[in-house]
Amino acid sequence: MAREEYEDFAEALEALDDDMRFEFLLDLAKKQDASDFPEEWKTDANLMHGCMSKVWLVHEEREGRHWFRGASEAAIVKGLVHMMVQSFSGLTSEEIRAISLDDVRRLNLGALTFQRQVGMMAMLKQIQKLAGQPVARETAGA
Amino acid sequence: MADTVSDRPNSSVLDVEAVRRDFPILSETVYGKPLVFMDSGASAQKPRQVIDAMRHCMEHQYSNVHRGAHYLSAATTDAFEQARDRVAQFLNAASPDEIIFTPNVTAAINLVAHAYGRAFLKAGDEVIVSEMEHHANIVPWQLLAEATGVVLRVAPVEDDGSFRIERFAELLNDRTKLVSITHCSNVLGTNVPAKEVARLAHAAGARVMFDGAQAVVHGPVDVRDIDADFYGFTAHKLYGPSGLGVLYGKLDILNSMPPFLGGGDMIDKVSFKGSTFKEAPHRFEAGTPAIVEAIGLHAAINYVADIGFDAIRAHEAGLRDYAHERLSAIDGMRLIGTAPDKAAIISFLVDGLHPYDVAAVLDRQGVACRVGHHCAEPLMDRLGIIGTVRATLAMYNTKAEIDVLGEAIEKAKKMLS
Ligand SMILES: Cc1ncc(COP(=O)(O)O)c(C=O)c1O
Repeated sequence: MAREEYEDFAEALEALDDDMRFEFLLDLAKKQDASDFPEEWKTDANLMHGCMSKVWLVHEEREGRHWFRGASEAAIVKGLVHMMVQSFSGLTSEEIRAISLDDVRRLNLGALTFQRQVGMMAMLKQIQKLAGQPVARETAGA
Repeated sequence: MADTVSDRPNSSVLDVEAVRRDFPILSETVYGKPLVFMDSGASAQKPRQVIDAMRHCMEHQYSNVHRGAHYLSAATTDAFEQARDRVAQFLNAASPDEIIFTPNVTAAINLVAHAYGRAFLKAGDEVIVSEMEHHANIVPWQLLAEATGVVLRVAPVEDDGSFRIERFAELLNDRTKLVSITHCSNVLGTNVPAKEVARLAHAAGARVMFDGAQAVVHGPVDVRDIDADFYGFTAHKLYGPSGLGVLYGKLDILNSMPPFLGGGDMIDKVSFKGSTFKEAPHRFEAGTPAIVEAIGLHAAINYVADIGFDAIRAHEAGLRDYAHERLSAIDGMRLIGTAPDKAAIISFLVDGLHPYDVAAVLDRQGVACRVGHHCAEPLMDRLGIIGTVRATLAMYNTKAEIDVLGEAIEKAKKMLS
């Protein structure tokens, strides 16, 4: 399942220094081409609110599994979006519900600024919302 | 407890290293790099004189104001009212009664829109703002327009960010009842000729308000010389604490206005048959005010006055010119806002790069800038851009820091293209 991708991302980011992390995210962004997210999907309805740069997310459910695609205007954010949708596509409702904010923190582990971490958490919540699942909350003491 | 900058004679040359030593936060590092703080336009850092004054109040003097029958209450009331006096002096108001403490400048503008607007403006009357307003000076007027049928008109800005007084004047007519314009743009740095705006507005029979959030930081403001009817600013951008703003209003106008918020401290007498209200400024200060913050603002004004606006202006003009020159040397650089009369607020875009990406790389180099629409979406639409990266240069910034900014932008270009 896509959790493995997620582990790969987390490990790759952990191993890199600052500049390389940017490069890594920018490379991810470059991998996405226009066909991944056609212009006509960039509608207000698909827009995530409250982001500093625009982020669009779309969702589809097939045979009990959720699939996501996303885009952003900013390259770094595009890389993050790519990481999120890759990690969390192909999961069942159950699995989506189980993703916690700590999982997102793990993905970030020292790699990104706080602001982007907040953005990533917002993305997770949006992914859960689109999949019709309750959104992750901070657990007590976190 | 007036803590002055005793080791630094007031002169027209600013000793930036001495100034920096007064701001404890400037020796912080971020991501292991020295902090280069260029986001003072959003909120400025605080000198130890402000921090000390606020701590001193809380450790030795604190109590509620205007209420208690005891020593501390009298002492705090005294300090709070001295702060009001100091603000009056700072703006050259005719009386401290013309100084109302509010939570921020947003609240000051809302106060005028509500208390003055709803009492004196009616359907069909016109309010003029400009294209380069912060949302704080747009939305309160839109709410007033919705409630009363007042019409909002918008004075244009030029492509380079200049404000042309003759184009503003074209909007004035006998329906114009209020002009509310920024004294200095938070995105473009453009200074607005306030005195001329006030003269023209008054000649058309309108009242005039200025949003001085940015302007008070970069140069002296004399509300009587400008002949402003209302003038607002916010303490946290003037090296003071957050949670406090100021509304100046001419006394006769303030006393003709009904209250905005009701509650304690603002009443003369309350009964269930009806209540009567105090005169300005207390009429507009319902509830316990930001006491410690007012004392902090007093210290901040003293600090700025000790350094002196001549010195601050000369220093910031040097930074502005150097930043324009340094950044212009970068291929693909587009400076947004190059009006001849502008403060040291440098907005820019780099061709082909999203401003968010640029700011993210700058951040990693320790350079704190703001990115986005800067609460001025209509201005972004006017200029046809999605946002900018903004570096605000304050009295504690240096040319060496501008070099760091320049190098960080070059690095961002390399990484992102
Ligand atoms: C020109 C201008 N007006 C209004 C504001 C709002 O200030 P505050 O949030 O302190 O009310 C700001 C700053 O954000 C500003 O730059």
